[in-house]
Amino acid sequence: MSSPLPDSANPFAPRPTPARRLEGAVSWIFRIATYFVLACGLSIFATIFWKGSATVFRAEFPFVNTAFFTQAPETLYVFEWQGEKREMGDKEFRVFREAEAAKAAAEGRPAPVIRADSYAHSAGGIFPNVVGTVLLVVGSMTIALTLGVCAAIYLSEYARDTAAVRLIRLAILNLAGVPSIVFGLFGFGMFVIFFDWNVSLLAGWFTLAFMVLPVIITASEESLKAVPKGFREGSLALGATKWQTIRKNVLPYALPGILTSSILGIARVAGETAPIMFTAAFVISDRLPWQVEKFSDMFFQGVMALPYHIYVVSSKIPQNEYTERMQYGTAFVFLFTVGLIALTSILLRNKLRGRYKW
Amino acid sequence: MPPTDASPPPAANIAESGSARPFEIRRVRTRFLGLTLDECIQGFFGGNAFVAVIILALITVFLFREGFKFFPLNQDNLRIYRAAGLEYVQHLRGLDESHLALNRYLQDVRLRGLQAMQVEGVPAAEIKARLAPFDAWTNAFGDAIDPVRGLAGEMGDLSVAAKEAYQQNEDYKVARDQFLAAGKTAEAQAIEIKEVDFAANAAVLRGLLPAAREAAAGASAVIEAQLAALPVFPVAELQPRLARFAELGREYLATYPAALAGMEAWKYDQPVSGLEAFQAFIFGRQWTTASFWQDWYGIVPLFTGSLLISLIALVIAVPFGVGAAIYVNQISTPREQRLIKPTIEFISAIPSVVLGFFGIAILGETLRRLSGWEGLSWLPGFPYAERLNALTAGCLLALIAVPTIFTLAEDAINNVPRAFKEASFALGATKLQTTLRIIIPAALSGIISAVLLGLGRVIGETMVVLLCAGNRIAIPDFGLGLSVVTQPVHTMTGIIAQEMGEVVRGSIHYRALFCVGIVLFLIALVINFLAQKIVRRYKVSVG
Amino acid sequence: MDSTATASVPRSRPLATPPASSAGAERGATLIDIKDLDFYYGAKQALFDINLQIPDKRVTAFIGPSGCGKSTLLRCLNRMNDLIDGTSVKRGAIKIRNVDIYGRDVDPIELRKRVGMVFQKSNPFPKSIYENITYGLRIQGVKNKTRLDEVVEKSLRGAALWDEVKDRLHESGLGLSGGQQQRLCIARTIAVEPEVILMDEPCSALDPIATAKVEELIHELKKQFTIIIVTHSMQQAARCSDQTAFFYMGKLIEFDATHNIFMNPKNPQTEAYVSGRFG
Repeated sequence: MSSPLPDSANPFAPRPTPARRLEGAVSWIFRIATYFVLACGLSIFATIFWKGSATVFRAEFPFVNTAFFTQAPETLYVFEWQGEKREMGDKEFRVFREAEAAKAAAEGRPAPVIRADSYAHSAGGIFPNVVGTVLLVVGSMTIALTLGVCAAIYLSEYARDTAAVRLIRLAILNLAGVPSIVFGLFGFGMFVIFFDWNVSLLAGWFTLAFMVLPVIITASEESLKAVPKGFREGSLALGATKWQTIRKNVLPYALPGILTSSILGIARVAGETAPIMFTAAFVISDRLPWQVEKFSDMFFQGVMALPYHIYVVSSKIPQNEYTERMQYGTAFVFLFTVGLIALTSILLRNKLRGRYKW
Repeated sequence: MPPTDASPPPAANIAESGSARPFEIRRVRTRFLGLTLDECIQGFFGGNAFVAVIILALITVFLFREGFKFFPLNQDNLRIYRAAGLEYVQHLRGLDESHLALNRYLQDVRLRGLQAMQVEGVPAAEIKARLAPFDAWTNAFGDAIDPVRGLAGEMGDLSVAAKEAYQQNEDYKVARDQFLAAGKTAEAQAIEIKEVDFAANAAVLRGLLPAAREAAAGASAVIEAQLAALPVFPVAELQPRLARFAELGREYLATYPAALAGMEAWKYDQPVSGLEAFQAFIFGRQWTTASFWQDWYGIVPLFTGSLLISLIALVIAVPFGVGAAIYVNQISTPREQRLIKPTIEFISAIPSVVLGFFGIAILGETLRRLSGWEGLSWLPGFPYAERLNALTAGCLLALIAVPTIFTLAEDAINNVPRAFKEASFALGATKLQTTLRIIIPAALSGIISAVLLGLGRVIGETMVVLLCAGNRIAIPDFGLGLSVVTQPVHTMTGIIAQEMGEVVRGSIHYRALFCVGIVLFLIALVINFLAQKIVRRYKVSVG
Repeated sequence: MDSTATASVPRSRPLATPPASSAGAERGATLIDIKDLDFYYGAKQALFDINLQIPDKRVTAFIGPSGCGKSTLLRCLNRMNDLIDGTSVKRGAIKIRNVDIYGRDVDPIELRKRVGMVFQKSNPFPKSIYENITYGLRIQGVKNKTRLDEVVEKSLRGAALWDEVKDRLHESGLGLSGGQQQRLCIARTIAVEPEVILMDEPCSALDPIATAKVEELIHELKKQFTIIIVTHSMQQAARCSDQTAFFYMGKLIEFDATHNIFMNPKNPQTEAYVSGRFG
């Protein structure tokens, strides 16, 4: 050693060099950036939950606003009556007006003129919207899962590196990048116009199913690939056919993974607005989906859907204290549901990842 | 699996070995249409997989099927524009419109002056008096265009009338054909069709050219005189703006000869080529629909709007997304990782319509208030008045892009071989040095493709831009520098969502929207292609 | 036996006949005859002109350095190679009991019922021990509970595992130790009563005690089955095989009685390998 150190000095002791300080500072910048993103996302949740909970919850039993969940959207009327401010939904308001008119007629004076401000979609509830969304999700996920899981089985179990398979993979990759509004246009052009299904559940199902298909295929294939090769070889070496092997020794072990990842697909399907805007969604529909003359009509009717309702109430109706309640309430319910689905999927997947280690 | 053959095995082969239990490995499998059961199953699954290809093909087919007829329709649209003389008159109208823009400039200067004086506490009457010479001058400037405007209106009425007559005829023809197809000859004959005589109309319009010249000459003389005699503005700070105005005015005057030459060169029967119709869409700077004058379907304002918003979103999202990826992968503790990764995934699950609602309800107003805060006035474009603009939409889109960029970039960083990192540490590099000099460069192509896919996500996003971008169809004024971000814009995705529900099926407008869809589709494919190409190269380089 | 009947109702093949009673087959007579075999992975040739006669009811070991083609040849014998892209037998034939197993009318599924395989990494299915053993029979359509119970016991006894697991037949096969798992895989294989058992380095993942047990088992099994074992360990080949084939670079270098290969190799390459100079 050319520069002998005093005995007491530890040559490996950390020294506060500029490089070290810089590192500390940069780490903090990254840390702040990361947590800023989290804070932004969570603050959106928090705001909508906070403002929406006023509509959704009630202080007394049963603690939720049952009317909000069981009624259809209505126009809200706000008016002054005998010196006090009254708010009424459309139906209630009509009854009230007629009752007053009858009362007035009985007393022999002219029917009172009620000057009311009206706010569209600001009274009642969101029951038909919830129903519509559920129907859309169930139908499109059924189609997407059937197609997607079968496609994934082919890609993972049968496909060899041929031109056709490469084409399929390329198509899936590109399909995943197609904007949702383009799916909407396509669905409109094909199902609504060419097949003449009009704006209908069926058109929405297929449009949404096609949109979510790449997600399902990719996720399912990943789950199938995670099943060890030994299961397949072991089964084949015992004289099982390929299909027996897949059915008995691959699919059962891949299924939890497939379903978990598909839940994320549900969140996507439930959350999309653009594809259903002109294929399946109605701004307002007087009947519930099952109030049809014959069963098959059910599939050829448009429905009200939560995301489209949010779009309508937030873009077409000015914001004020009366309209705000329904807007935040709907957003709350919607965000809460989609969030819950996504959370379930994420948690389940993390759990599965830990459990299956063959 | 190779197919087994159908021919039944000869019985003799089996017994040959003399074993009590024959070595029976040949068999005939039941076949449907010449396929064994296993092959049928494989075919079934393969067919399902092929659906992806079919869907992609169908998307292409249906977009083009509905969209491609736009070009012949637009060609016709442009042909009528020319034949009916709208193109001819537009030159004069253009002079009027530019003049109007100059007037607005003057009004803006006046307003600023007025506010400045109010701030100083000058009494209202005094302000009026001080502004009087400027107002007189402004009025004279404004009136200068009147002869041109009058003539343009007169000629415009002629050409619009010709155009409308033509369109009515076209409708009649369609009705007549429908009657004929339905076998109702009598009704068909009852429809009277008078072909529009574009030539006669053109002759009348041409006859007015000398008058147009005269009017233009008169207007330009007055304007020139006015520009030569600029008034002194009562607020000295704003005087440079007047000087700038004189400059603009001279530029405006310089357009007169070109406009007149354009009128001179007009040939009502010059055919419009298909290429022109195509260019009018791709390079068209106007998207005007349901106009009494002329509908234009030019994608440029929508495209620039989409681009502007996407750029804003990426400028915000890339540092945060990549930064978070580096942090989670290199710096954070495993416990933090388990918290951050699911949360970011969770953010990606927020439906875009909810984000859009959040933008309308809260973020737009918050940002606008923030822009009015003095401490931030140094930022370009601050303060601004429009609650919904490119910035609001861009901020929300950034939140959509961050999870995409984060996940893919984190994957890319994770894929950098451990050996690289260890080698660097073994040489005494700090964590930061290793990250910046070894890991980021090695993961760079992965990160770039992550950013590209983030761009694809953002440019295709509909609900947020529809709700929050302000929906003003105009090319953002990039001349304003960075403050362009606070302008309201419209986007390709937004216009489809907004107008698709209201258009007549099969109309030119309807088909134009499908063409916008085609452009979006192609952009998505190109972005995907580039991202894949970059990733593939990256895989080779790492080994 | 009426062969056409067997062909049309293949799954009803009687399993009751124990392999040991295949009286006609003379012990030591050639069972598998490999002639002039050239095998390719895509464009790459993996096996060159292999000629080999494997006798019945004996243990034959394939040895050689990594990548010499011994596992490839083993996987040719029950056509597991069919599952890999682009593999092909370009020349030559493999005949088992005079049946060309690459013949056009051969069903690889039927072949694999008769030529079982035990893999390098033990791969019990994540089912119960009972389900693992009966898997092969169930896919052949056997549902009779008594039969299945019988077969389970017989196979587990055959694999010397019965005493260790008889009380927990319905617990997961994954709960067994590594050596037990491998013996479970062997039991699973013998449950379908193949004639040939192919073992692809069955002990490479096992500790010495478990290895000894498997080797002991191989010794027992050869009374009833023809066994072909690929191994990396020359000691293992020496301990438990009757014949040994030495492969190098895709070629069969030498095939002889195990004793001769190790004590008196004719080929200098074999000698170099068995004396540990390369590999």
